Amino acid sequence: MTTLSNLLAFLALGATLVLVWRQSWRGRVRLFVVQSLLLGALAAVIGALAKRPSLLFVAAVFVVVKIVIARVLTRMAAGAPLRPTRPGRTAGIPLLVAGALVVVAYVIMLPVSSLASSALPTRGAIPLAFAMALIGLFVCVTGRDALGQVTGFLVFENAIFGLAVVATYGMPGLIEAGVFLEALVIVLLMEGVIVQIRREHDSLDVERLQELRG
Amino acid sequence: MIVPLLAVPLLAAALVALMAPRAVIVVHVVATLLTFAIGLTLTARAVSGVTTLAFDGVLRVDALSGWMIAVIVVVASLAAMEAPRYVSDRAPRVFYPLFHLMVFTMLLAVCTDDVGLMWVAVEGTTLASVFLVNFERTRASLEAAYKYLLICSVGIAIAFVGTVLIYYAEAVRQQGVIEHAPHALRWTALLALAPSLPPRVLQLAFVFLVVGYGTKAGLAPMHTWLPDAHSEAPAPVSAMMSGVLLSVGAYAILRFKPIVDAAAGPSFAQRIFVALGLLSLAVAATFLWNPRNYKRMLAYSSVEHIGLVSLGLGFGGALGVSGALLHVANHGLAKSVVFLLAGRIRAAYGTAELAGVRGLLRALPMTGRGFVLAVLALMGLPPFGLFTSEIMIFAAGFREGHTWAAATALLLLVVAFGGLLRATQSMMFGPAPATAHTGGGWMTSLPMAVALAALVVIGLAWPPGLGAALDLAARTVIR
Repeated sequence: MTTLSNLLAFLALGATLVLVWRQSWRGRVRLFVVQSLLLGALAAVIGALAKRPSLLFVAAVFVVVKIVIARVLTRMAAGAPLRPTRPGRTAGIPLLVAGALVVVAYVIMLPVSSLASSALPTRGAIPLAFAMALIGLFVCVTGRDALGQVTGFLVFENAIFGLAVVATYGMPGLIEAGVFLEALVIVLLMEGVIVQIRREHDSLDVERLQELRG
Repeated sequence: MIVPLLAVPLLAAALVALMAPRAVIVVHVVATLLTFAIGLTLTARAVSGVTTLAFDGVLRVDALSGWMIAVIVVVASLAAMEAPRYVSDRAPRVFYPLFHLMVFTMLLAVCTDDVGLMWVAVEGTTLASVFLVNFERTRASLEAAYKYLLICSVGIAIAFVGTVLIYYAEAVRQQGVIEHAPHALRWTALLALAPSLPPRVLQLAFVFLVVGYGTKAGLAPMHTWLPDAHSEAPAPVSAMMSGVLLSVGAYAILRFKPIVDAAAGPSFAQRIFVALGLLSLAVAATFLWNPRNYKRMLAYSSVEHIGLVSLGLGFGGALGVSGALLHVANHGLAKSVVFLLAGRIRAAYGTAELAGVRGLLRALPMTGRGFVLAVLALMGLPPFGLFTSEIMIFAAGFREGHTWAAATALLLLVVAFGGLLRATQSMMFGPAPATAHTGGGWMTSLPMAVALAALVVIGLAWPPGLGAALDLAARTVIR
């Protein structure tokens, strides 16, 4: 279980890093799907090995919800500029920051993963999942436009699902349901808002959102 | 009793969405009155020491929940009375369902014993209110709604990390296995387990929870969405968001405080509360010194007051916590009244810029006077209740040895006071414009007058039972 969970979490982190580096929207959405599939597999593996059948069901719902979200994201990206970063900027620096965030994640999660009372088989994956969360947050904060920020938020949210799975073997069903429902509603609301932003401003560039100051 | 309280706003939301526009207002009024009556009855039971349970303990109302229910239903009723002014010709079947859904999610957040369900409910408040923020569909309100949705969703997701860590800490008491206690995310269960939980994990979890729910509470530096959303939303929504939604965020943090206190000692949470409280006061004072827009001014005043609440919780002791809780109620009353009146002023003058409003006392005598009184209350002047709660908070600060923090906070309050006074004075006097029309008959202002009168009562002489209720509510989170 340790090897498999570490491997899947590591692969998901890899997908997240590639997402930071990737320079096209369609590529980014595809990587988001890859990350979701890997995390779904992680949940399924833990569900099977730790004998928690409900987690298998959660993993299936998770994957379905994320595929729906990816479709909405593709729809949103249809009218966006081709590249998620400004022309002339490379992905070098963001990638470097993302790498540094992995280290930061290990430091922050030290009290959790090194807890003496827990020799949890999945504890090696906890900092990896948290690193994904930090990178998602970073993508969200530095997003060039609304679409980039939403993508970052979704990566962040995926990572938190992964964290919940490896640290607790799944939250209670009612709460998982709430999380999925809300992720879906947020994305649909975001789509509504983004459509309106595009109509009002003729662009998704958040730097045009400057009415409110002070 | 809890089930009807939650069912009424939820049913009302569903009914209003399906009904003919003509019947909508009837459902709205009936639902508001029912929520008000059931809520206050439940509060009366809770603060007399009776804990109500429902659904096998998932829903649980103790004295602290009861206190919050009272604040929610009172502020929601004030806002509901004013709502028809804003909705009459525009989309009643969008506004009212979301309004009642917002009330429902806030009530659910304070009525549940399950901290996971509380998380779902707090997130629900954002989803229910985001369209209300963008109700006027202007560029500015759109921008405010976008920021609100994004920042609060990120914030609440961070709070989820905290909840996950708590659930983890509870489950790993045995070597190498995850074994959750029955109903492990229940607040009561966590409180009982707390002394045996790993302190460092709980401290880390608490930091995530403070950042996450603190975003909803509008504590600096996570407050950046607040001035936009609160100033762009229609007045009844601003009143609910500023008056009570912020306090629901603070309530969520407060629920975790005794758990962390039991596991890691009280000074950890207290230091965080004091630091964030001071920072919020500093941010608010900086803006309030020279505001340009009166709705933003009121929004920053909310940052100031939530900072005071945080200080009260940080200073601690029975006095500090009950001062903070009383401040939540006082601020709810004063801030909802002032936002509703600001909405009328904006309707009359057609602008929210301070420079555009002159001669208010002559143009809209009743609204103007009410506005002055409510702002004076917000400044913490006697005889209003905020004076009392601020005295309690600062007395706790000096008594518990936080002399420097309390003194700094007082200084910042004086700065905010000066700014608010100057701005309000400039609105009240000067030549009145000819175009401004009056704000309706005295009947429509009656609920607000009652709210201001209640503030005076709290400031001058506590009605029988208030002191005991407050003490009981504070004791639920003090060990």
